[in-house]
Amino acid sequence: MPLMRLTEEELTARKRRNLWIALGLVAFMVLVFLTTFLRLKQNIADASAARSVAEAPAQPAGPAKGGAS
Amino acid sequence: MTDTRPRLSTAQPGDYFQLLKPRVMSLVIFTAVTGLVVAPGQLNPLVAAIAILCIAVGAGAAGALNMGLEGETDALMKRTRGRPVAAGRVRKNDALAYGAVLSLFSVMLLGMNTNWFAAGLLALTIVYYAGFYTLMLKRRTPQNIVIGGAAGAFPPVIGWAAVTGDAPWQAWLLFLIIFLWTPPHSWALALYSAGDYARAGIPMMPVARGPKSTRLQILLYSLVLVPVAILPGVTDLGGPIYLGVSVVGGLLFLLLAFRLWRSRAGDQPEADRTHGGPAVGREAALYDVRIDAKPARNLFAYSILYLMLLFLALLLENLPASTLVCPSCA
Repeated sequence: MPLMRLTEEELTARKRRNLWIALGLVAFMVLVFLTTFLRLKQNIADASAARSVAEAPAQPAGPAKGGAS
Repeated sequence: MTDTRPRLSTAQPGDYFQLLKPRVMSLVIFTAVTGLVVAPGQLNPLVAAIAILCIAVGAGAAGALNMGLEGETDALMKRTRGRPVAAGRVRKNDALAYGAVLSLFSVMLLGMNTNWFAAGLLALTIVYYAGFYTLMLKRRTPQNIVIGGAAGAFPPVIGWAAVTGDAPWQAWLLFLIIFLWTPPHSWALALYSAGDYARAGIPMMPVARGPKSTRLQILLYSLVLVPVAILPGVTDLGGPIYLGVSVVGGLLFLLLAFRLWRSRAGDQPEADRTHGGPAVGREAALYDVRIDAKPARNLFAYSILYLMLLFLALLLENLPASTLVCPSCA
């Protein structure tokens, strides 16, 4: 089967489109990486805050209202 | 022998950028940023920037799907015949695939980046615009732009939801402003493009109900819009700057709507430039009108400025208190 012969205009347009698709994909990868990094950072900060609350000395309980059964 | 095999596309990257409707996208970015800044709560500035990018790309993807679905109709209208699909530079299926991929990527990334409620709202906006408005409403009812206008009103709510994970009434007030703004804005343009819409078989208000009824409805919508647009100024959303801008800007909006109501804009079919001319298929076609259509053109042009000013005022008043300008706060 004979190969389709591309014109100069078609080749240039395809090259430009491919370049922009590549740039778009790289940008998407960077954004996913950044998002993952930021979410991890946030989750670590949240977990650390939760741990320090849990490890804080318990406050002495006040007198119970109404009496406990 | 002539080669009849399908040729490879000669579409340029710029054509694909045009598919995203950059003019509409700029308004989407602006209103989404406002929603994001006005919302109470903290968001890392980088997360905020990615969220805005996702909302912008999602809105652009909806535009690409719209252009893919409407290529044949767009080719019949002088305002839109220069669009990539209508002009034959990008194939319909390529535009649809491009829109679908960008929709998927933007919704997914927004969900991962902020929360799935905001991502769901973005997905809803895309489906609403490309599916509900373009495929169902646009050709069926003169109220197409009223109901379909909701799609353009979602960005500030998505911006808000990206920060807080919910959408309280304040976010919906921003939605309502854009929702009520859309009919007078679109019908003012339709008044001097009615021939275009009629040729394309789209029952826009001036085509379906006539210019006189359209001018009256523009005035009525403006009378509702202006007080609603003042509301953020008397709630905790806006302050004195917003109040001043919304009152003065609103009065000017009403004046232009009143002038349009009293005019005969749309009564005469617009000048036929179907065989070309400097403005065909380009931005200038929106503003290059006959003298009797100028009141409609003036309201159309001013309505864009009015919405920009309202959201700019909200932005300026809330920016100093926002954590977005304070990276260490987030």
